[in-house]
Amino acid sequence: MDWDRLITIEQMEEATNALLETGKKVGADSWQQRVKNQTPHCGFGEAGTCCRICSMGPCRITPKSPRGICGCDVHGIVGRNYLRFTAGGAATHSDHGRQICHTLYQTKEGGAYQVKDPEKLKRIAGEWGIETEGKDIYDLAHEVAETGLMEYGKPFGTQRFLKRAPEYTQKLWHDAGIEPRAIDREVSQSLHMTHMGCSSLPEALIKQSLRAGLSDGWGGSMMGTEFSDVLFGTPKPVDTEANIGVMEKDMVNIIVHGHDPSLSEMIVFYANDPEMIALAKANGAKGINIAGVCCTGNEVAMRQGIPMAGNFLQQENVVLTGACEAIVVDVQCIFPALGPLSKCFHTKFITTSPIARMPDSDYIEFSEETAAENAKAIVKLAVENFKNRNPELVNIPNLKTKARVGYSVEAIKKELDGVCNTHVDEMGTLKPLADVVKAGVLRGAVAMVGCNNPKVRPDTAHIELMKKLLKNDIIVVVSGCSAQAAAKAGLMDPSAKEYCGEGLRRVCDLVGIPPILHMGSCVDISRMMILASDLAKDWGCNISQLPLCGCAPEWMSEKAVSIGNYVVATGIETYLGVDPYSKGSSEITELLQGETGCKEWVEAHFVVETDIEKLGDRMIESIEAKRQALGI
Amino acid sequence: MGLFERVFRGSDEMFAKAEAEVNKIVAEVGTDAPLTMPSTAYFLACIYAYIGKKVTTTGELQAALADVKAMMLREPRTHSIFQSGVGTAIAAEMIEACKYVKTDAPYEGTNYHGHFTDAEVRELGVPLVTGDIPGFVVMIGPAPSKEEAVETIKGYQSRGIFVFLIGGIIEQAVEMGVSMGFPVRVVPVGEEIWSVGHVISLVVRAAMIFGAIQPGDVEGFHRYTFDRINAFVNAYKPVNDITVACGAGAIKLGFPVITNDHDDMWAVPKSLIIYDDTKDWIDTSIEARGIKLKITKIDIPVSFSSAFEGEIIRKGDMQVEVDGSRKDCFELVVTKDASEVEDHKIEVVGPELDEIPCGSKISLSYTVEVAGKNMQPDFEPVFERKIHQFLNCVEGVMHTGQRDMIRIRINKADYEAGFRFKHIGEVLYAKIKSEFDTVVDKCQVRIVVGDEPNAELRKHANEIFDKRDERLKSMTDESVPVFYSCIMCQAFSPSHVCIVTPERLGLCGAVSWLDAKATNELDPQGPCQVVTKERCLDERTGRYEDVDEAVAEYSHGALEHVTLYSLLEDPMTSCGCFECICGIEPCSMGVVITCREYAGMTPLGMTFSEMASMTGGGVQTPGFMGHGKHYIASKKFLKAEGGVGRLVWLPKELKEQIREKLNETAFELYGVENFADMVADETTCASGDPEELLAFLSEVGHPVLGMEPFDM
Repeated sequence: MDWDRLITIEQMEEATNALLETGKKVGADSWQQRVKNQTPHCGFGEAGTCCRICSMGPCRITPKSPRGICGCDVHGIVGRNYLRFTAGGAATHSDHGRQICHTLYQTKEGGAYQVKDPEKLKRIAGEWGIETEGKDIYDLAHEVAETGLMEYGKPFGTQRFLKRAPEYTQKLWHDAGIEPRAIDREVSQSLHMTHMGCSSLPEALIKQSLRAGLSDGWGGSMMGTEFSDVLFGTPKPVDTEANIGVMEKDMVNIIVHGHDPSLSEMIVFYANDPEMIALAKANGAKGINIAGVCCTGNEVAMRQGIPMAGNFLQQENVVLTGACEAIVVDVQCIFPALGPLSKCFHTKFITTSPIARMPDSDYIEFSEETAAENAKAIVKLAVENFKNRNPELVNIPNLKTKARVGYSVEAIKKELDGVCNTHVDEMGTLKPLADVVKAGVLRGAVAMVGCNNPKVRPDTAHIELMKKLLKNDIIVVVSGCSAQAAAKAGLMDPSAKEYCGEGLRRVCDLVGIPPILHMGSCVDISRMMILASDLAKDWGCNISQLPLCGCAPEWMSEKAVSIGNYVVATGIETYLGVDPYSKGSSEITELLQGETGCKEWVEAHFVVETDIEKLGDRMIESIEAKRQALGI
Repeated sequence: MGLFERVFRGSDEMFAKAEAEVNKIVAEVGTDAPLTMPSTAYFLACIYAYIGKKVTTTGELQAALADVKAMMLREPRTHSIFQSGVGTAIAAEMIEACKYVKTDAPYEGTNYHGHFTDAEVRELGVPLVTGDIPGFVVMIGPAPSKEEAVETIKGYQSRGIFVFLIGGIIEQAVEMGVSMGFPVRVVPVGEEIWSVGHVISLVVRAAMIFGAIQPGDVEGFHRYTFDRINAFVNAYKPVNDITVACGAGAIKLGFPVITNDHDDMWAVPKSLIIYDDTKDWIDTSIEARGIKLKITKIDIPVSFSSAFEGEIIRKGDMQVEVDGSRKDCFELVVTKDASEVEDHKIEVVGPELDEIPCGSKISLSYTVEVAGKNMQPDFEPVFERKIHQFLNCVEGVMHTGQRDMIRIRINKADYEAGFRFKHIGEVLYAKIKSEFDTVVDKCQVRIVVGDEPNAELRKHANEIFDKRDERLKSMTDESVPVFYSCIMCQAFSPSHVCIVTPERLGLCGAVSWLDAKATNELDPQGPCQVVTKERCLDERTGRYEDVDEAVAEYSHGALEHVTLYSLLEDPMTSCGCFECICGIEPCSMGVVITCREYAGMTPLGMTFSEMASMTGGGVQTPGFMGHGKHYIASKKFLKAEGGVGRLVWLPKELKEQIREKLNETAFELYGVENFADMVADETTCASGDPEELLAFLSEVGHPVLGMEPFDM
């Protein structure tokens, strides 16, 4: 089996090197250089053993000084740092969700934002016990949005979406005392618990980490996903392209980067505006080309088929092509480096959110109320910038793949209906997937998620692990920068089935899917939680018994730790390729990765393995062990 | 037990049986005993296809055991069960092959069919392409009851699905008196599960013959069967491990399995379907394999299906016979003005069937009058030639001949079921309206029964036939403005293209230039496209730049050059379902032609199957060429090599079919009388020896002896 039809890591690196050459010419800085400058990293920081929560310190734990000034031991310090890391991620994801709730609240007939999937809105309203009968769809949208917003601060009760989980899982959460209450409360309580002089009991800190994580995955993120679908349409399979070669030499290139589809959807809309296209032509361009980077790239790819220029560590590359008129960003994962870098080119670095303010950027504040005019102004600025391009600096590497994206849970069920037999099977379930796994044709499934991290050769872990899993008849669902890694390599092209084991290849043939299913951006990992829950229900077992696992081989952000916590808390073993600053404490490591702690509370734990080859083997072993336990 | 384990156990079992049988036969006859399956050029086809080895002796068969064993992988991965499944099918073929070591006909005197000949495989070509056989079912029985067995078999048959029976269901069918055999598309293959080897052998030969898949190209075979062979399996409980292993092979090939056995069975969507309601299996299976049925609703009291095309009505079963050889009979399609046609008017003039004594030979004619804005008189014979097929599809009706030489038998069971002459009208109306809907707006049928009126009507009909013949005669490759391509076969033979001209019909014999023209009018985006003939490069060989361009386009670049009239210089390719094949006979510098129906040897030392295996699947093989029967008597036949005067041998039956025209053409070309008698056949050149052939040719003064040697 050869991989010659895929774009290799080497080809991508070669392209990056060529771009860095351009960077050198214009005196640009790069993350590659900054990694060198920052290496070696602080050992205390890496182990999680440095505490700077109060001003008596900072305290660093060593064998000679085993406790901080307040007397906290290493387990308390590592545990607190871990919980704070989680709280940062949960706050971030959930705040994104909150933003979407606000956008939903702004919808109106004929407005900039409208309800594109009323059925889904009604379904959610039904779940939440909100009357839909005879109600105007926009009245309903506002009511649902307000109810969603209340999930952030309600004084009593737990998250509404928890009811979506299998009853068994709900009971586990209840018994462990980790059912998340109001989202903001879980974040606040996490900060409170980690304040000087509060919690230092490892068990309490890790349980709160799980709880804060769940408030994200089954609360804020899930609302972010669900309401984005209501607003912009529930994704269904759509063909697009990926990798840096999607930028167009003769067109105005606008890169959207960040996370919130409220901005990017508007930019896409106005890039198709005949007035803007005419303006582009008047400025000497053939048209306007939008491409995405990072999770915003995922959002617009899966709903609009907008090409994906790259993932997290390619954000500087798009500017280095010299053909980027504007890089428009909202929130999260945006390098402040883009400011100075854009100054080396004609590129406009346009920040739009009060949450992500950066030096050296044009700030056009984007608000739900004035979205249309903001978006138009941004597109106009980019278009008018085309004439400032320096043709001598333009180098768009010729790397481009085909990708089929947009597999929401709804879309996956619809695809599976296609292999059902109307005489025998029930439609609209995940039973065909359960059956094919039970029979052994597929061995199991892995959810690959997460970022890039220079600690790992970028994209290599994602791509190599995917290749290994595919060969072993393990289907892969992806989101976030992992999804883009797959797309850039060509693994989301339906013809990538050729690289799979025969079982998976047959499944791809019959269902008509690529072997790696793009489920969206990082908030969309909530989709994967629903997928696992529904699969367990259709299978008739618990989530933790299913032959599947989660994997974030190149993760880097606080959000990723929050995600890891809710994935594990949902009952799914989670494999990490980068250590979560926890190795300094044997007790915390045991609670997260051992047989006690998480494993006892939620029947799953973390596995940290920085050797990628071994990481893959261990996932496959785990899947086979789960099969054996199920007697399949 | 898991599905994988069951497949592994079953394949071990099948392999052990194969090993035992092969070793037993080798112990008996040694390793040098010849091993040939009857009438095939593909050896043991499964071994040839999947392993790439030609097995001709028992020793080679024994040696192949190791190859099969190597396929029996045991990893917990689908690849292993697929490999083992295909290995199981090959092992099955080996077990069956052992039966053919000592005799050619091990199943003689039994209910079982056993091995399929190449001719049988090739016979499937056209009906597969046209969708008349929309798929194949392998039923592994026994069914829950014999009544249900019959009901299901007939259900498939009435939908045109070709039925293979294995195991207990055969006994049930025999007991219930089901008429079986290749011609009626219900074949009792064998009693034991290993007889499935014969079915897979047929499948892989279809891939080699029509798809030009090369022996050993395992991926190619799998892709071909998955994409193009609409087969599926119905396995009644209890399904044992060995059948499960065969099922894995079937699924690998793309054939879903439907079963009602729940014990240790694991459903796999679209592949392994567990379903208790066996009475609903037909529709379930058809959906599972994604088969689209051509459905024509015809208001008659008996079944209508292509499966009945091959049905023979014996004298004893006959209610009445329309006998064109003794009585005035004819069939005719004529174009009328729209105002003269009342749509769906079916008229029977004279006595109905129930007014005629049983066993009578009668005079009957039917005239189909059609009207339509796009109708052209040239389409009349096209429609008329289809009547043969339309009427034969009626269960219990047999139709042969054409024009005023038709013979129709209607059996007693049909009469009992209420079938009457008016139903002939219903069939003709429904089929002509559905198949030619874009040109026929209105259609009416008049059936006339009785000696007196038909005597007069026949004269009138013959005047029309004569006029048509005149027009056809004047229609030459030079006189028409364009040719047509035909890629009807590409569903099965993806790189073959026929170029159809007035003087060279399609090699399947089913598509004349007028047919192609009509097809083009009926479906302008369809399989027959206009090929211009403006840029002739060489008149002798019939080489046109336009034709080359068309061939390159429609073969998707597989072919670049094709001549219309040469056997040696870029001859036209074949799909595999050709009626005849000709090949060079080097001693006489002539050509030998043989046809599908003739199983015997030719002076080339090759049978039809062996000659046919030299070409097909869109491959160009100078010196061998597939063609239609009626091309032989064409003035353009081998024009580049000197014409039909090259013809030195052909089977007697075929000679008789084309005698008159052959003589006519030879007289026109060479001034030779009774040319047909100069062409040798199996009676005049019994030994098939080239020397004897040469002696015969010299004796009769065959024109080939005066021709230049081939420029080879």
